[in-house]
Amino acid sequence: MPELKRILHVEDDPSIQAVARVALEAVGGFQVLSCCCGQDALDQVQGFAPDFILLDVMMPGMDGPQTLEKLRQLVDIGQIPVAFMTAKVQPSEIEHYRSLGARDVIIKPFDPMQLATQIRAIWSQAHG
Amino acid sequence: MDKRQQQLADLQQHLQLLGEQFAQRLREELPQLADKAAQLQLAADPSEQLQHLGELREQLHKLAGSAGTFGFAELGQRARELELQTQQWLSSLQLQQQGLQAFVQELQQLASSHEQPATANPVAPTSSGLSKAPRSESAYRIYILEDQAKVGETIRLTLNTFGYQARHFLTTAELDTALAEQLPDALIVDVNLGNSQQTGLDYAEALQKRLEEPLPLLVITTQNDFHTQLQAARIGAMGFFSKPVDVAKLESRLERCFAQQNGEPYRVLIVDDDRDLSSRYSLVLRGADMLVEVVNDPQQLFEAMGRFNPEVLLLDVNMPDCSGPELAQMVRFNDDWLRVPIIYLSAETDIARQMSALIKAGDDFVTKPISDNSLIATVFARAQRARLLSTALARDSLTGLLKHADIKEQVVIEQERAQRNGKPASVVMLDIDHFKQVNDSHGHAIGDNVIRALANLLRQRLRRIDSLGRYGGEEFMAVLPDCSGEQALRIIDEIRQQFSAIRFAGEHSEFSVSLSAGIACAQGQSPDALMEQADRALYLAKHSGRNQVRLAS
Repeated sequence: MPELKRILHVEDDPSIQAVARVALEAVGGFQVLSCCCGQDALDQVQGFAPDFILLDVMMPGMDGPQTLEKLRQLVDIGQIPVAFMTAKVQPSEIEHYRSLGARDVIIKPFDPMQLATQIRAIWSQAHG
Repeated sequence: MDKRQQQLADLQQHLQLLGEQFAQRLREELPQLADKAAQLQLAADPSEQLQHLGELREQLHKLAGSAGTFGFAELGQRARELELQTQQWLSSLQLQQQGLQAFVQELQQLASSHEQPATANPVAPTSSGLSKAPRSESAYRIYILEDQAKVGETIRLTLNTFGYQARHFLTTAELDTALAEQLPDALIVDVNLGNSQQTGLDYAEALQKRLEEPLPLLVITTQNDFHTQLQAARIGAMGFFSKPVDVAKLESRLERCFAQQNGEPYRVLIVDDDRDLSSRYSLVLRGADMLVEVVNDPQQLFEAMGRFNPEVLLLDVNMPDCSGPELAQMVRFNDDWLRVPIIYLSAETDIARQMSALIKAGDDFVTKPISDNSLIATVFARAQRARLLSTALARDSLTGLLKHADIKEQVVIEQERAQRNGKPASVVMLDIDHFKQVNDSHGHAIGDNVIRALANLLRQRLRRIDSLGRYGGEEFMAVLPDCSGEQALRIIDEIRQQFSAIRFAGEHSEFSVSLSAGIACAQGQSPDALMEQADRALYLAKHSGRNQVRLAS
């Protein structure tokens, strides 16, 4: 299984951005690039070359699913797993996000101590 | 501390900092959110309303997703419910005025409940000293439901002299209106409401069910029977008082309710060689606002206990080098730690073996796998009890103030501090006038109420940095750092006036009591000399006719 190192995190809320960065860098030992919106992610994704993409669903302007749609044209999401983050928890919605190409959905609010573990689990499933 | 523990501690600190920043953001954003909701009510046309609603939904959604991550789980939950409400309005395109009213109130309440930082910060000394009433801005709001005007007014006035913000209502309808505007911090209800069919308890029961979190409730009644008390207990009453109500006792109970709510977080020490499990427990307990420290190596336990001073000890039963019960016995060798409850964490379900562990030392068992809730509940219950006991032992049992030796110790500390930083400090000696007559004509129980009332009044009116002690029978001493003699004179004289306005319920009639006080200000004299000056000023006050405050010249 390839090693998971670089994570691209797209999130418009600065508080969540900061806590996720701590959770992924300090707890998980990953390298994180935070983007504040979909366009920012599209501009940086090729330069950063992430192993994993974490996408907030509800963002002003381009939302998570729209961003994913555009990301697919730039990178191979078969190789770079994408997970959505959202506060909504209906099973039908999770199915819907999967159908868009996401590997899984991380439910907000998340536990900062557990986030890295959750992402590793998604990673190993994607590459298992 | 090994490297890993250090990293974990740094991380926790970092997360805590982020949590504080988030709390700061809440204090700014929640009022804005409440304002936006209020605008909804004023919005003239439907398209404007829809736009506001859409924005509100977006912000509530964010809050619902983020608050829990920073330890504000309940706020997140409520934001989620409000988000669903906006969602429903948006999809039905129908706004009900009544629902909207409740919605706006809920948001306003959320905003006001997050006005203060989540962790209690000790009040910093201020140069303005005692010139303003310490509590006035954050006075607790108390609502009183009492159909007898005179009784209700007496309670209201007395509570106000204690620094509360009390309001009195004659009917449930009046109370309903007030509740719709703003919830109080505590509610006092009379059981019998004149000729109304519904009793005060029925009313309170229905009210508590409507509320997200029940209000602290005190019950007053002429019906002192078992059945009424049972109903009161069932709806969560924290106090039950027979008429005629002794307001000082009532106040003392309120004081206790709020002290429980605002206490410092409980300190818990976990000893478990399993790092993953112990950090899991730690996270769960921290989530319940406790301070937690973890020791993975039993040999470090005593060093950690000395430094961290835990209120509860969680011990794993099976560890490689020594067992939990062995450790517990060693803890019990030290008298200083006798008060610390010990809870075993164990996969042991064999009752007999659990019993034998408990007989050696230890107080309780939680069996692995432990659900988060049962861990929190067990630790919380033990910590609460331990703290109550410990406070009871360290403090004067009647008043909850410092004892004689401890308050004298405070005089020494503050006198030294005043000398160091060149700021004034005042020492106050107070004595209740003609206290013997109170005891003789009304009995010792009522005399005790008078003493307790003065203790509570002093506690309410003085700042947190001030120290207060019961010096002798009816004699009190207070040490006021960073406070000149003139400032002290002003505040103590205010307290004197308020104290003499309190009406006590006597054996056959109501009565009131006065106090005398003497004040001395630290100016380089020794602590003993300082206390003696204050005592002489008190003597002078007594001999000039009592009911007055004197400043030593």
